[in-house]
Amino acid sequence: MPPTPCAICRTNRALILRPKDHSKLCKECFINVFETEIHHTVTTNNLFNRGEKIAIGASGGKDSTVLASVLKTLNERYDYGVELILLSIDEGIKGYRDDSLETVKRNAKQYDMPLTILGYDELYGWTMDQVVEQVGKKGNCTYCGVFRRQALDRGAVRLGVKHVVTGHNADDVAETVLMNLLRGDLPRLSRTTSIVTSTPSASNDPNSHTNIKRSKPLKYAYEKEIVLYAHHKNLDYFSTECIYSPEAFRGSARALIKNLERVRPSAILDVVRSGEDMAKLVPGADESCGGACSSQVPAAEEEEGGCGSSNGRNAGGKMASMEAHLAQNEVAAENGLEIEITMNGVNGQRHNRQDGGTASVVNGKKGRAKGQAFTPRKAPKQQVMGQCKRCGYLSSQEICKACVLLESLNKNRPKNHIEVSSHMQEETNGEVHNVTRG
Amino acid sequence: MTDQPCMRCKENAAALVVRTEPLCRKCFTKYVHTKVIKRMETFRVRNSAPDQQRKILLPISFGVSSVILLHVLDHHLKNQKAKTGRTGYVLIVLFVDTSSVECLAQRENLLSQCQERYPDHKYASAPLHDVFSIQSPEHKSLLGLVSEMDLEPEADRTATEQLSALMKSLTSATARADVISTLRTRLIVQYAKLTGCEGVLWGDSTTRLAEKTLAETAKGRGFSLPWQIADGASPFGVTFNYPLRDVLKKELVAYAELSEPTLLPLFNDSSSNTQQPSMSSKNTTIDNLMEQYFESVEENFPSIVSNVVRTTSRLEPSQGSASESRCKLCSMPVSDGRFGIHGWGGDQQDGLENLSAERSHGLCYGCTRSIPQAAASRNLSG
Ligand SMILES: [Zn+2]
Ligand SMILES: [Zn+2]
Ligand SMILES: [Zn+2]
Ligand SMILES: [Zn+2]
Repeated sequence: MPPTPCAICRTNRALILRPKDHSKLCKECFINVFETEIHHTVTTNNLFNRGEKIAIGASGGKDSTVLASVLKTLNERYDYGVELILLSIDEGIKGYRDDSLETVKRNAKQYDMPLTILGYDELYGWTMDQVVEQVGKKGNCTYCGVFRRQALDRGAVRLGVKHVVTGHNADDVAETVLMNLLRGDLPRLSRTTSIVTSTPSASNDPNSHTNIKRSKPLKYAYEKEIVLYAHHKNLDYFSTECIYSPEAFRGSARALIKNLERVRPSAILDVVRSGEDMAKLVPGADESCGGACSSQVPAAEEEEGGCGSSNGRNAGGKMASMEAHLAQNEVAAENGLEIEITMNGVNGQRHNRQDGGTASVVNGKKGRAKGQAFTPRKAPKQQVMGQCKRCGYLSSQEICKACVLLESLNKNRPKNHIEVSSHMQEETNGEVHNVTRG
Repeated sequence: MTDQPCMRCKENAAALVVRTEPLCRKCFTKYVHTKVIKRMETFRVRNSAPDQQRKILLPISFGVSSVILLHVLDHHLKNQKAKTGRTGYVLIVLFVDTSSVECLAQRENLLSQCQERYPDHKYASAPLHDVFSIQSPEHKSLLGLVSEMDLEPEADRTATEQLSALMKSLTSATARADVISTLRTRLIVQYAKLTGCEGVLWGDSTTRLAEKTLAETAKGRGFSLPWQIADGASPFGVTFNYPLRDVLKKELVAYAELSEPTLLPLFNDSSSNTQQPSMSSKNTTIDNLMEQYFESVEENFPSIVSNVVRTTSRLEPSQGSASESRCKLCSMPVSDGRFGIHGWGGDQQDGLENLSAERSHGLCYGCTRSIPQAAASRNLSG
């Protein structure tokens, strides 16, 4: 069989079956197409401003490594005029980050970018190991999720950086769209589809956490293509799976995405597109702009991939516990319904006033204990975002989740325990601290 | 099943467990009927003028859902008649015959058997290719689409030929299933209007609506979900209602099994239970994937299935959608003229000079994914 020529240059031999559309490309053309698409994402969404300092959230994994490599290339090729730095977070789980942080350190040299590694101990006063010691293995996922969500933003504030880019790819976004549909969470569906999430400038304080912009330049890049790119560019990355298995909803959505991609390669992109379109249809969403373009979308509750149990509860049982909760509400609604129908037998007119929806039937007996629990979240109301009174981070509550968790941690920490653990902390993390400075 | 007593009447032995409640056959039947009739509120007798009979179309596929819907509504109408001397509506039952484009183990004479068993309604059957011949304002756009694709010499092709030309141009199982169901919906709407029906009653169960939510999302049709899941106005000038939306698929299957006299002879062979298609991805469609997925979710998490549907029903159609321009294939309103798969953030080709930006053909994003690009761009350059 004669070698297939590349579909773009028509000269070189095609070696790559492009995951996104199954076109057959040569190595050079693939790399070029991949980079050009990200350039396109950057320019059409006006992600960067000239002179801007941008922190790349770097984990040493494939996504953030490719992101750093591509952004460096594009910044030079198209003269974005931005300053790129690497920001890594060390959760303080003994052994867990060792290899990946080594990778980030090498990347910093390879790409000639300054690197800062910030530990949870510096950001929160607690390493994850200490948290686990305090609260046990079971509850620690709550902390991991809440702390992780704020860590990059808090780190950025430390560095005086206003913009953090993360390696979220198309698969991640598609997975999140399906996951939020499964969970029935429309507000979050609408928030997580936007390419830029940032917080309304509620504060004039330049050091406020609320002014950090987050963006996902790889939002439309397929995971498989990211791997291919890393491979063909010989990028140095650390391949590891998150040590926590994804919680049930995310795991379920992830499996679906993989199957969809097999059946129709464009499906990942198509889910992302649907997510953007649906964001505009969520009641209360900003018509003109929706999820696709907004720079007003609060980032605070954005899902992180990885250890998905950001909402607390135990990872595997999330689906089961939601099922139990919903089922209970259904029983309540059902009982309400039965009563209404019985009454209808006696007095038909009464029933007629109901507009037939379960919601109204249940609302009709709102006074009852069980019925109340059902109260269907009507128009998913836009959460009113304000600032945490304590740390200034964006929060829908007066005190943000992280501060609440920290408070309970600090309250329960025995006095002498503090000394011991912070002492040990210095020893174990001494090396990392050196790197931060060096 | 067991010697457990029914939780509702406390008299009979339970025949099955419904959402943790053991029910006898009689109470289960009532349970299903109540859920359906609650959704038929708008079609109460008092809502219809005595001199003007309201007509609704009930498309029947001889799957479990649509046959049960007919069965329950037949019962509903008889009750209305017994109580008030008249009915709130009449049913026109339409079977769309898709056997020319897909292999179904279709039994003979199902329609006439239905008619025999439920003789109070009007019955009709239409082949799918009628979608090309029923005269309606929208149908021109469809003819235009097929001739634009220029798959064969154009000169007066019959409707059958047009349909087969369109089907032949499709390159995947997902695309074929997608186009067939789109055309089927179009034909049903056309027929409803032709016969003066104010609305269509779809047989989708909760589970099916959840499948559809995720499947349409995966096909890039998220924008059209408000019209595909919620009860009420459709963009097509007739209302859409889903009276089985509160009944799970497994509950319908149980209903069919417990029915007396049995409904089984009215079902298609292929739909009597969910067959496990070979998972070779060649013939697997996105719909198949979602069907399998929700079959397993429904097993352990039925409330999550309902919640998906409840939540999706809250999506609001974009404003002014009635006046928006329509997709030539699915007739859905397309916001801001965002036809085709280009010109958005995730566009794969927009940024590349060497690939000419072929424009859409008045097809929405989802339809553009199904209609072969090669054929479409050939036409454009010509
Ligand atoms: Zn090439
Ligand atoms: Zn706080
Ligand atoms: Zn009973
Ligand atoms: Zn369409």
